[in-house]
Amino acid sequence: MKGKRGAEILVETLKKEGVTTIFGYPGGSVIELYDVLYDEPSINHVLVRHEQGAAHAADGYARASGKIGVCLATSGPGAMNLVTGLVTAAIDSSPVIALTGQVSTDMLGKDAFQEADTFNITMPFVKHNFLVKDVNQLDSTIKGAIQIASTRRKGVVLVDLPSNVLKERAVSSSTQVVRFEGYNPNVKANKFQIKRIAKALLEAERPLILVGGGVIASDASKELVALAELLGAGVVYTLMGKGSIPDTHPLCLGMTGMHGKISANKAITECDLLLAIGTRFSDRVTGWKLDRFAPNAYKIHVDIDSVEINKNLEVDLPMVGDARDVLKGLLIEVKKAIKDRKPKQWKNRIKEMHQVCNGCHEGESEEKIILPEKIIAELNRLLPRDAIVTTEVGQCQMFAAHFLKTYNPRTFLSSGGLGTMGFGFPAAIGAKVAKPDKPVVDIAGDGSFTMVSQELGTSVSNDIPVIVCIFNNGYLGMVRQWQELFYGKRYSHTRIGGPPNFVKLAEAYGARGIEVEKPNQVRDALKNGLESKQTTIIDFHIGGETNILPMIPPGGGIDEMIGVERCRTI
Amino acid sequence: MQDYIISMLVENQPGVLARIAGMFTRRDMNITSLTVSPCEKEGKSRMTLTFRGDERGLESTLKQLNRLIEVVKVRNLSFERAVYRDLCLVKVATADASVRQEVIGLAEAAGGKAVGVGVDHLILERVGSPTKIDNFISIFDKFEAEELVRSGVIALSFEDESDERK
Ligand SMILES: Cc1ncc(C[n+]2csc(CCOP(=O)(O)OP(=O)(O)O)c2C)c(N)n1
Ligand SMILES: [Mg+2]
Repeated sequence: MKGKRGAEILVETLKKEGVTTIFGYPGGSVIELYDVLYDEPSINHVLVRHEQGAAHAADGYARASGKIGVCLATSGPGAMNLVTGLVTAAIDSSPVIALTGQVSTDMLGKDAFQEADTFNITMPFVKHNFLVKDVNQLDSTIKGAIQIASTRRKGVVLVDLPSNVLKERAVSSSTQVVRFEGYNPNVKANKFQIKRIAKALLEAERPLILVGGGVIASDASKELVALAELLGAGVVYTLMGKGSIPDTHPLCLGMTGMHGKISANKAITECDLLLAIGTRFSDRVTGWKLDRFAPNAYKIHVDIDSVEINKNLEVDLPMVGDARDVLKGLLIEVKKAIKDRKPKQWKNRIKEMHQVCNGCHEGESEEKIILPEKIIAELNRLLPRDAIVTTEVGQCQMFAAHFLKTYNPRTFLSSGGLGTMGFGFPAAIGAKVAKPDKPVVDIAGDGSFTMVSQELGTSVSNDIPVIVCIFNNGYLGMVRQWQELFYGKRYSHTRIGGPPNFVKLAEAYGARGIEVEKPNQVRDALKNGLESKQTTIIDFHIGGETNILPMIPPGGGIDEMIGVERCRTI
Repeated sequence: MQDYIISMLVENQPGVLARIAGMFTRRDMNITSLTVSPCEKEGKSRMTLTFRGDERGLESTLKQLNRLIEVVKVRNLSFERAVYRDLCLVKVATADASVRQEVIGLAEAAGGKAVGVGVDHLILERVGSPTKIDNFISIFDKFEAEELVRSGVIALSFEDESDERK
């Protein structure tokens, strides 16, 4: 690296580490870097329209591909605009590298133009961050950042880059191996613990596996399904775990928690053993009365991050380990000892619950208004199994989590921990860059999409075609639903209907817009959108006051769902 | 609630203290004392930190601290055989010579000494375990303690650090 400018070193190191795409937005402090990117053929820089979009796109890229996503912004306002997207990625353990410009080192702390204390502002949520003050350490810092972001529990690493460091030339040519004394990138699964878990699994009569995003992050879906089949165990998942087992799998009982399926929440109540893997028992999963969460079960918790053990829920048998390693170990141990012991009663019960809840709302509709579940039922028919679906946040998201049939890991991308409106569309763009051959659909709310609609510019001008299905109810629907159910229908500041005209908005950007007002137009509109090679917005006028039910009311336990009237009893 | 004391080996770098302090702030916990200084290992500092909490708070704090990249080792000294030291300086007003004599006498009897002499006050020093320091300070309650400062506890365990894994 001797004699090279910081900006050149940065790009060279990224290339060596396998980075091929950067989502970014330029500015004064990173102009040196953009000068290097100008004629760099092997890095595809995607120019976004707002830095939040860059962070979500990098996150979507990472979630869809399993590789790190990289975003880039200038100092001050640029870096600050990244923050929402970075917190979103961080809390969902998505491996993202953020590169931010900074004022030159001699100006640090002087409130120089476009100075923001990015290092301190991002400190509470990143897995780690660096402020690079010496160009000779740039190469090793970038390597270290990538190692930290992509190993153990994955996360966000931010590298703050003062402008002079990007300009200065390195004097040392050493490319050190990076090692942090306080960080071991590998986690070893304890064999003895695996044996203990296997023994408990074999003794259980009603075993249930609860899977979170960790199973997807460690690419452990195959092992998960194999273990469930071997044991005859039911499988329920968190929002982040959707895709780890096909929704159509007879052992799959759907998403659990506040907006979960009855089958999933009942299974939690009925099971006598709960094996939770790669999940952190968030309040959206457990409900608010922890003593009502799996009250009859022997609880086992496997997670790669020891911090998660006993943080939200105290369990009987905790284990720190990578989901794939542990599941592989369990498969071996269980296979050794299993005799044809699949508990018949439980098997039948799972089958019954799967059949009732999985098929719900699949039939033809006689309704006059377009129901969200019907749009999703059409998507289930039309989408290829490897299509990628992202979501915005709100009712639209929960409809998708509930009714969309997902078959493969990394094909359902949603902001779980932070619930960030505006995630879905830029994340769809990122996912499409990672998987250009797959159709990518964003299931959106009118409110959420409006927060990031400027990324239509990114999508169209970089030729990254995605389909946005807006469930247009004219409301901040999820908040309105709470106001209806818990605040006496006082719809305070949740009505957003009227502008914009989404078709015209799409057309203004050179995208396609389709308006759908009647149930019998849904299918054709979707077909139309999926067949086109162009970014398409489909504006579905759904009922204004449609609710997503059943749900656990705030403060309730997992077995206290309301709005079950439309559901068949199981 | 209980007082806990932990010792950490950390990278001697800007930002480390902020990261550690942040762990506590976010969980609404208060650090009662903190000392940091470079140590026998090049590029590292040793930090001794005390806080009040319950057992679960302790468990999660230790794990959270361990998770920080720049924290090399964390060790809970609360229940270990270790040497603990704290230091205090107390400024006591001494109106006349007889009070002055009394204060000096008391300080010496209580294991401390006068280390600074002003026209109408004395500065006393005591080094010892935190409880000894507490006692020492309480002895001078009846005098007007104008100012008081403590270094915070430092501690070294008799047990071997090397078997602490991260
Ligand atoms: C950035 C952000 N601001 C506010 C919220 C709070 N919030 C959660 S859901 C929701 C309504 C979302 O409306 P819309 O996108 O139209 O989806 P709908 O619920 O109507 O399907 C709001 C405001 C949020 N999650 N994210
Ligand atoms: Mg809406």
